[in-house]
Amino acid sequence: MAEFARERGRRFGALYEAYSADIVAYCTWRADSASDAQDAVAEVFLTAWRRLDDVPEGDAARVWLYATARRMLASQRRSTRRRAALTERLALAAPTREPSGDPEEHLVREALRQLGPLDREVLLLSEWEGLSPGRIASVLRCPTVTARGRLHRARRRFRSAFERLATAERAERGNRRAAGVPATSVTHVLGEDS
Amino acid sequence: MKTSESFEALRRANPRSKPGFARAVDAAAAEVRLRIAADRATAEPRVRHIGPGRLLVGFSAAAVALAAVAAVAGLVAVGSSGSTPGGTPGVESAAAAFKHAVTLSAVSAQQSGTVNVRMTHDGDLWASKVIDWNGGNVEISDHSPGGPSSGSPLLVVDGMLYGHDPQHEGWVKVGPVSSIEPGSGTAPTEQLGVIREDVGGATLRRMVAAMTGLTTAHQGDGSTLYSGEVAAGQIARQTGFKEGQAIRVLPFGYVAHGAAADPASVLHTAITVGSDDVIREIAVTWGTWTYTVAYSHLGSTPPLVAPAGAKSLRHVLRHTTPPPR
Repeated sequence: MAEFARERGRRFGALYEAYSADIVAYCTWRADSASDAQDAVAEVFLTAWRRLDDVPEGDAARVWLYATARRMLASQRRSTRRRAALTERLALAAPTREPSGDPEEHLVREALRQLGPLDREVLLLSEWEGLSPGRIASVLRCPTVTARGRLHRARRRFRSAFERLATAERAERGNRRAAGVPATSVTHVLGEDS
Repeated sequence: MKTSESFEALRRANPRSKPGFARAVDAAAAEVRLRIAADRATAEPRVRHIGPGRLLVGFSAAAVALAAVAAVAGLVAVGSSGSTPGGTPGVESAAAAFKHAVTLSAVSAQQSGTVNVRMTHDGDLWASKVIDWNGGNVEISDHSPGGPSSGSPLLVVDGMLYGHDPQHEGWVKVGPVSSIEPGSGTAPTEQLGVIREDVGGATLRRMVAAMTGLTTAHQGDGSTLYSGEVAAGQIARQTGFKEGQAIRVLPFGYVAHGAAADPASVLHTAITVGSDDVIREIAVTWGTWTYTVAYSHLGSTPPLVAPAGAKSLRHVLRHTTPPPR
């Protein structure tokens, strides 16, 4: 029995070592806050621990963990919505994720936000997690051909949204620069008058 | 714009490339370890009373869980030693040891424990209470000098609240804890919520994450004193509203006041960790006030049972002598 315990512990340790960073990365972007992400990661691995016999071997384990994380985050979002309704009733400020200070990351987030949830998911599973369309299909439980088609469309939509936003941002920056000079001189003139 | 520009920007936004990612992986490992240990702690009593045949299964499950905890614990240590970019290794290792103590204490406190909470003003005792818990049952004894309920314990067993009646010198079955003044932020059910959150280590983890200027001092008795500054909002969290005011509650249930009630105030916080890596005491200071929480008997506080012969509240009210006019 002790040997069984050690073997199970070893298998879980190996699973954790191989994929914990992937699951932390997956949950970090998708959860509402850092603590929600940490909570989701812990629940994913607790589920893996309880159902270790159901976790497939090799790289398929990673797909299993992503699919579990996806379900955990969906359930977390449902309870967050319930909590938010309660918070609203109590007139408290709802916790919000801190905005990124990096303008490029802001554009990426905004462009991703403009995609549908499934398009966003296939794109990020491909670009950030490096999954093939076949693996993405396993995570989303859909046919490979559907995942491939959706990925193609998501790429096109992301690129177009990003370009549109980047162009608008550049134009706005130009306008601000142009408007900035007279604004300073007006202040200066008013200062002299008074 | 080239296609690659948008996709390069997307790849650069990958959370793995962000500063602090290694620390997030470490923190997740500590949380995983805590959940597995807690899972083990809650699984054990479940098998205890279903028969000797299952008892063996229970202990085996616990052994397997310990093996997994050990496996993840190793990863935490490895992860922490490798995540010191730009930081001072000494401070990083102190922070890692500190986090380890929080996790270990939360695991130890999961099933049972005792805390002695004291608030002093200019060194004089202002308020004090002892809280014992075992499973979902809690006993709170007030020892505040001259307090209206000093020496009168409150007991919650299986969701039922019992109080001590000074006139009849016996226990009174007050009623289900959930039915007493809910939503005020200070009702028993809300205080119990605060206590359970504190037992689970949620407040400690928040405090540790928010602590700045961490210094470490090794004491003669083998314990270590970690001190630093923590925003009051991370120590006393909001539990509700009463009469238009936000109610903020300090660890283990006293309502915060003064600077401790202002979430932006920075409070000096000192946490003593024993030589066994378990937290012994938390001390928070603001102005002339000091708030301390001393832990003891983690994992060994005896079970709490409903008092025998407790009278119903209706019976007590019927037999209470009305005050003289």
